[in-house]
Parts: sequence; structure tokens; C-alpha cells
Amino acid sequence: MRNILTIAQKELRSYFVSPMAYVAIGFFVFIYGYFFVVSLNFMVRVSMQAGMMGGPQTININEYMMRPLLGNMAVVMLFLLPALTGRSYAEEKRSGTIELLLSSPLTGPQIILGKYFGALALFTLMLAVTLIHVGVLFIYGEPELGPILSGYLGLWLMGGAFISVGLLISSMTKNQTVAVMGAFGTALMLWIVSWIGDPSSGSTTTEVLAYLSILDHFDDFSKGVIDTKHLAYYLSFITFGLFLTARSVDSERWRG
Amino acid sequence: MIEVQHVTKRYGPVTAVDDVSFRVESGQILGFLGPNGAGKTTTMRILTGCTSATDGQALVAGYDVFEDPVEAKRRTGYLPETPPLYPDMTVREYLTFAARINGIKSAARRERVAAAMARTSVEDMADRHCGKLSKGYRQRVGLAQAILHNPDVLILDEPTAGLDPKQIIETRELIKELAGDHTIILSTHILPEVAQTCEQVVIINKGRVVAVDTPGNLTGRLRGSETIRMAIDPLGTDPAPAIEGLAGVASVTAAASDSDSVVLEVQCDEGADVRRELAATVVSSGWGLLELTPLRMSLEDIFLELTTSENPREDDPEPSGGAEPAEAAPEEQVEAADA
Repeated sequence: MRNILTIAQKELRSYFVSPMAYVAIGFFVFIYGYFFVVSLNFMVRVSMQAGMMGGPQTININEYMMRPLLGNMAVVMLFLLPALTGRSYAEEKRSGTIELLLSSPLTGPQIILGKYFGALALFTLMLAVTLIHVGVLFIYGEPELGPILSGYLGLWLMGGAFISVGLLISSMTKNQTVAVMGAFGTALMLWIVSWIGDPSSGSTTTEVLAYLSILDHFDDFSKGVIDTKHLAYYLSFITFGLFLTARSVDSERWRG
Repeated sequence: MIEVQHVTKRYGPVTAVDDVSFRVESGQILGFLGPNGAGKTTTMRILTGCTSATDGQALVAGYDVFEDPVEAKRRTGYLPETPPLYPDMTVREYLTFAARINGIKSAARRERVAAAMARTSVEDMADRHCGKLSKGYRQRVGLAQAILHNPDVLILDEPTAGLDPKQIIETRELIKELAGDHTIILSTHILPEVAQTCEQVVIINKGRVVAVDTPGNLTGRLRGSETIRMAIDPLGTDPAPAIEGLAGVASVTAAASDSDSVVLEVQCDEGADVRRELAATVVSSGWGLLELTPLRMSLEDIFLELTTSENPREDDPEPSGGAEPAEAAPEEQVEAADA
């Protein structure tokens, strides 16, 4: 455990001594703010229209604002997180520092988990900074806390899944750019994999593909539902990604 | 103590390390010699657990590196060919990190880091970023990292590469100093280094061990006869016949000549020391004696002899067409093993 923490700290530190962490957090929070304003305007417009048509004066903030906002942020994560994990292994392999880790009395899983938690910590921080906006929402409006928390949990789990994919791809190459593009491509594919099926046909293939899609599982979270089915999906996704990373690192030892 | 038994490493069809066995007693220094691509680095990486072996067994400090890697690694310090430094850490931060992953308790960490920095004299760079260090300092910080946890076994891949002459001497001294309580393997292709620091030499070529001995024995074994090089100003005459006529001289070859000097290489009979006679002959003939140097069979020569006169390996593919030079196949193999 202490070893995992040591590696995680080192990883997190390496994000912060380079502009990487600042760019990632800044970019993420900026986009979040932008979508926040866009969603807010949208909600105000909808609520005014609803008022004019004699409907309820206040519409649900969670449904009309937070849900699309978090959905948009999921897309931003798809772009951002592969860039974050791209260097993780690739850079160490390129510069040879991986030998320091490999020849030290650390086990493979310790190194992998350390790297994973390091990246996850940065991502958690990125999410945490956006809570400022949510705070603003609480000052001026009356959103429900539950769905916001479950939405954030969903985003966090999805980010965790992206990071495990990123780590896996990064462990397969020495080239950071390849790692970033590979992770982005894989994550994007996992995202849109359900589009190929015809939802009206209800065939098994369509259902399986829909189940695989990383985005479909996020939907319930953003509605405020924490379904164990989706929890299980993300957790098993992450575990499987890390397991494959361990295999990939191990096979490197045999080949290189 | 390090024991390597029949270790083999194949990359697909290429055999990088072929049935290598040797043994280093506790507190000894073993020099690992071989041309580039001979399998030195691969062997060292196997010993440190950075790569696995296809076959064989390796014991480091009593632990099997394949069965019990964590315990073996705990007792091993490794300096790879390129020092594994994180460019964005300062030297102190880097060594502290290395101390942590090597399981040094926080109470002892500061002291150990300071001691390692002092031993490798990198203290003046303690707060400099590793990425900004010169090659010599990088090498020494890498060495500091290797000795940090006071391991039983040190594996150093070309520890003096890129150092200036003064640093080379210091590093050699340091390695010798460390030998008492550490078992050391160091690889190099600088041969005098082996002669000066190592108690035992393993010469490896194309993945195979071609010789295991002490540097003294190796030079002795192959020093059949001695060659003396002399530069003479013969005042226009040809000095070769007069020298050839001396007792104990086997042959004379003219190595170079210009307007006022002739350089001869005099091959002596085994065991004969003809330096006095040579000098006397030159002086009595009225010539000028400009230089007289015994050319001993150096480790370089031994090395070259052992690594180039080897027969091509049996399992080498036959050169196709016959027009290909005989060296082509082994060379390809060396290159492939390098990649």
C-alpha cells in the first residue's frame, strides 16, 4: 500500500511540475464554466416559455441544467483524459526510467495501481474544482443535491474507466502521441459502439453493444439513479483495463 | 554472491544470450566484457528483473530472480546504461524517491540520501534538476541511486561511460571501495578499466561466454611472445637486416618510415628480452634511437582475438549464394540483438 502511494504521489507530482496539470484543470474548468452558462441560459429560456404557457414557474434545475451539463463534460473528458494518461508508461519507457521501477522491489500491480491512482487523483481534482459552479447554483437556486452527487459519481467512474484504457494503451508503446491517439480512439469506440445496432430491432447483438457502451451507463447516474448494474459495469471495466495493463507490462518483460 | 546458470534469452529467432553461466563470489568485482550487442546489457537486465530469461536460473544474494524477484531486487542496485533519472526532479528529490521505493524507512531516508550523494560527490548538485545535469553528473546520480539502499549486489552497466578522466578515476576508486561489502558486476568495453578494477573477467561475444578468468591470467595466457616497437634515425641506411640478425629476434617489420626516421616492429622469441641488445646495436651502428617501446599483448588484443577469431555459430543460417562475406550473418545477429 505504501508503495502504491509512493508511485501515485510521484505521478501526481509529475503532473504538477509540468504545465500539464494546470492546463488540464484550467481547460476543464473553463469548458465547464462555458457549458454552465449555456445550460443556464437554456434553462432560463425554457422556464420562461413554460411560464408563458401557463406551466409551472420553476422547472427542474437538475433535469434541464445539470444533466446536459454533466453529459457535455463527459465528452470533454473523452478528449482530455487520454492526453493525461498518454505519458504514464510511454514516457518512462522512452526515457528508460521504467528500469528504475522494474529493478526496484516493487511488484507490477503496485506500479500499475500507483500510476492509476496518480492519474485518478488529478482527475478527481479537476472534478472537484468544478464544484465551485455547483456551489454558485446552490446559492441562487434550489437544485436537488442527490442527482448532482450521483451525476458526479457517474462522471468519476467514467473518468476512471477512461484512465484505465489510457494506461493500457500507454503501456503498449514508447510513443506518447501514439498512446494518446490510441487511448482516444479506443475510448471513442467504446463510446459509440452502441450506435451500430438498430435499437428498434431488439436483437441480442444490439443489446450487448448497448451494454458495452461506456456512455449508456452514465445516463442513469445523471438522472440521479445509482444502479448497481452500472456500478458493476464501470468497476469491472476498470479492473479489466488494469488487469490487461498488468499483462501488457509483463509481456514487455518477455519481449524486451 | 551472484550465480548465473545456463541463462538463455531468445527474441523470436534471435538468441541474445546463449547458455551463459558464471559465478561471482561475495565482495568480488566481475568485469563483463564484450563488443556492442554481445548480450551484456541483456544479461544484466535479466539479473535485475527488468527482463525475463527464456531458460536458466539466476541467483542474486541467494534469491532466485525469477522465483523470488522482490527479495532479489531488494538486495540489488542497478545502474542501467542510461541513468534512469526523472528530469523534473531535483537530485535530492530523485534519490528520496528511489529510497522510498526501495523501502528505506523515512527516519533513515535523509541520512542515506546524504550518504549516497557524498559517496558519489554530487552534493553540489543536490538541488539541481536531473534534466539539467551534465552526462557525468547524471551517471553519478544514477550510481548514487544504485548504492542508496546499500545492496548486497551492484550491477553497473558501463558506469564510467561519459565521464571525464578525473571522474573515471574517482568512479573506479569508488567501485573498488564498494567491492568489500558488495558483490559487483560491471560491464564495459574500456579494457584497462577491467584490468584495473576487476578480479574476474567474463568475455562474452554473440551471447556466449568465450572466456572466464582473472585479468592477469588472461593476459598471461595469450602473451606468447612480445613485440617491441622502435623508432630509429638510420642516417639513410636500412636498419632492418642488422636487427634481424640479433639472437632472440624472430622477425622485423617496418611499420612506418619518413625522411629521418624508421619505425620497426620487432617480434621477439618467446621469453626473450632483447631490449638491451637492440639499443646497443642501434647505438654502435651510429644511428639515433628515438623510441623503444615494448608492446605487450594487452587486454585489447586478447579481447579482439577472442571475439573475432571465434568460429561462426553452428546454428547460423548458411550465407546464401556464397558471394556474401562470411561475417555478414553474425553481424546481422548482433544488430538484431541490439534492437
